Amino acid sequence: MLEMKGIDKRFGAVVALNKASLTVQDGQIAALAGSNGSGKSTMVKVLAGLVAPNAGEIFIDGEKKIIHSGTDAARENIATAFQDLSLIPTMSVKDNILLGCEICTKSGMVDEKTSRKQVQELLDRFHIDCDPDDYVQTLMPSTQSMLEVAKAVFRKPKILLLDEVTASLHYDEIETLFGIMRELKAEGISMVYVTHRMNEIFEICDTITIMRSSETVISGQVSEFTLDDIIYYMTGSRPKHAKAKESDLSHLDDREVVVNVKDISVYPKVKDISMKAYKGEIVGIGGLEGQGQPEVIRAILGAVKPQSGSIEFMGKPVKFKDPAAGVKAGIGFISGDRNKEAIFDVRTIAENIFAGNSAKESLFAYLSARKVRQFSEDAVKKYNIKIGKLKDPASSLSGGNQQKLVVARWIAMNPNLLLLDDPTKGVDIHSRQEIHEILRECAANGMTIIISASDTEELLNISDRIYVFYEGKVAAELAGETKTAEHLVSAMMGVQESGGKEAAE
Amino acid sequence: MSNKTMTFNPNANKDIFSKINLFVQTHTALMALIIAVVLYVVTIIINPRGLNTVAIGNIILLTIILSIPAAGQTMVLIGGGMDFSVGAVMSSTAVLTTYTMRGENGHFITVLLLSLVIGAAVGLLNGVCCVKIGLPAMIVTMAISNIVTRMQYILTQGILSGKASPLFSASVKSKIFGVIPMIVIYAIIVWPIVFYLLKRSRFGKQLYMVGNNSGAARLNGVRVTKIQIMSYVFSGMLAAFAGMLGAAYMSTARCQIFDDYAYMSLIAVIIGGTTFAGGSGTYEGSIAGSLVMVLLSNLLTTLNPTQPVRNVLNAAILILLLVLYNRGKAVRQ
Repeated sequence: MLEMKGIDKRFGAVVALNKASLTVQDGQIAALAGSNGSGKSTMVKVLAGLVAPNAGEIFIDGEKKIIHSGTDAARENIATAFQDLSLIPTMSVKDNILLGCEICTKSGMVDEKTSRKQVQELLDRFHIDCDPDDYVQTLMPSTQSMLEVAKAVFRKPKILLLDEVTASLHYDEIETLFGIMRELKAEGISMVYVTHRMNEIFEICDTITIMRSSETVISGQVSEFTLDDIIYYMTGSRPKHAKAKESDLSHLDDREVVVNVKDISVYPKVKDISMKAYKGEIVGIGGLEGQGQPEVIRAILGAVKPQSGSIEFMGKPVKFKDPAAGVKAGIGFISGDRNKEAIFDVRTIAENIFAGNSAKESLFAYLSARKVRQFSEDAVKKYNIKIGKLKDPASSLSGGNQQKLVVARWIAMNPNLLLLDDPTKGVDIHSRQEIHEILRECAANGMTIIISASDTEELLNISDRIYVFYEGKVAAELAGETKTAEHLVSAMMGVQESGGKEAAE
Repeated sequence: MSNKTMTFNPNANKDIFSKINLFVQTHTALMALIIAVVLYVVTIIINPRGLNTVAIGNIILLTIILSIPAAGQTMVLIGGGMDFSVGAVMSSTAVLTTYTMRGENGHFITVLLLSLVIGAAVGLLNGVCCVKIGLPAMIVTMAISNIVTRMQYILTQGILSGKASPLFSASVKSKIFGVIPMIVIYAIIVWPIVFYLLKRSRFGKQLYMVGNNSGAARLNGVRVTKIQIMSYVFSGMLAAFAGMLGAAYMSTARCQIFDDYAYMSLIAVIIGGTTFAGGSGTYEGSIAGSLVMVLLSNLLTTLNPTQPVRNVLNAAILILLLVLYNRGKAVRQ
């Protein structure tokens, strides 16, 4: 049995955990739920030995344990699959799995034969389709996530921590994973399962612990909770069952075409994509991961150059040589990969919000401190971003608030076209709803929005029209009556059907 | 109950430490200033005669000269690069200044324009090699500074030649009220320009963005390459100007006279809180860091050890300072 009691953790002035607790019985899967920034990941990191708590105690089988490093955690048979992966991209699959637990012969040499055999068995068990000698960096993100879990399981842990491992997994991979989790459960292994996907909690977990603003709010058997209960404890308010508003598509052909992408290809993912977006429309791009969605969005922005085809923007053919040219022409880009592509973590919140404006207009013109402050104050108020002070670094914010900050950065610039690449990946349900509301309001005011999303429900909710990508081509265009979950999912899987409108016009 | 108080006390202590830590990390310029004051007080205690107007004037003068290449270095570091050529550029324009002026008045504008062009050209070369071609900044700027140094020998054959014009020298060295050297006039011109660039222009904002996260900056519509190359060009021009002022101060200039300023400016900037990682740092910090460097050298002169001992002490104190507060930032993961 694993028990965490009264765990406190502060990062500078930011409280990440406040007397948080968690209990997991042997052979049980405990869900750890909560909005972004509620402290779930920090709890996992405390157990994994990556974060030393300021106070609190950890008991394993009733014995008090001190876990101050990854080595301590390994000694207690705790293995972790991290949200942001602990794989080394430039090493092979085999070496990654064996890292730190290499199999040796009696003479102390690495036992190549046994290692290879065991790694292959592990890959087979997880249905990971790759060679043990493949480099991790060449694998698809979903395969990497799967590998991350496999690596943790390979360590034969007594306690397995899974931190949002399904975020980028496909449907069939999740099924495989759940099958393995059930096997491990039968072996008596305890698991802590962190996720944003509510249906998974009901499917696989025995108990649930809900966190809100760094504290443990409630825990109990999953069977005692309804979905509304969970959301209530996570956010503090009952969810509204608002039906997504359908845009009026009757005058579609009269409307101004803002973007017209014709037959573009971007090596190697995008083969032949054509799509249109009208003024004031929210166009969704759906599909499994790696079907060319990010590439098409970046091609419109000017961040990648298509090998063939043409792009028209506001009625004129354009060939942006870099994103700066696209931004200048009135395009905004919001990435879901905050750390790599959006957030300036050591800069202040004010500067982060003002970043869109900083990139535009003349380089050496006078820029008053008041203007920057005013601009960011307005955005913080308008988009309900929870911050300490405007002068705090952006890294002090939680994921959801960071994403709202990036959204605010671009909305405040009022671009003609806003591109969003999976903007709510790993964002809690509450912030996600807020971001959706902001986007709808912008579209109503005439902004054109193209959004790709990995979550099908989100895509159906937000989009007026959906292009489904499959293997670098448009598999279906869904709008109005055809815009249903069944059509979307079957198009994503590449199943031909008659319901969807023919793609290329 | 007793258990609770047991666990509470060490936490209270940790809180104070983390608060001090936070303060140090968020007030790097002030910390550099405090270190400067401590160094000066120690110097005066060891040698009370050091407290005189000539010494104070010299400290101001040398700090201002160092603060100018440090300005360029600050920009380059914020943008994620490094410029080891500032020393060679300073030496070159110093040599050029004395060589062209030959102790006569009336060449100031010519020398100024020529120096700025040279500085900009070297900066551009640095920028193109580091940013566009993508070579490591440390190696490229050193290699280029070597070329720049050889140019001095080609121009002068290694012979000490010429002299700064008397008027120009006077505009740097003569004292206002017998204490403050005239060079402050140049600082009054240069410092605000640097502050303007870093704090009140979109160039500055973009530079910080580029240094912090170049990928995000690019997708945000910033021309990353252009901004980074510009930082090298500014650095070259500032160093070129500093070389002229240095020549005016020394009157004569031998080849490689200011080569030390390459590493001195780098350390001054780091002491002032700018990080190697890029994306953070302030010019006020770099000015305070320049003051620390000058006062440290002043203290060592007061102690008057032999040259090797002096070098060892210098290095030891600098490493201590760098360790003290260029530690990793407290980042919420």
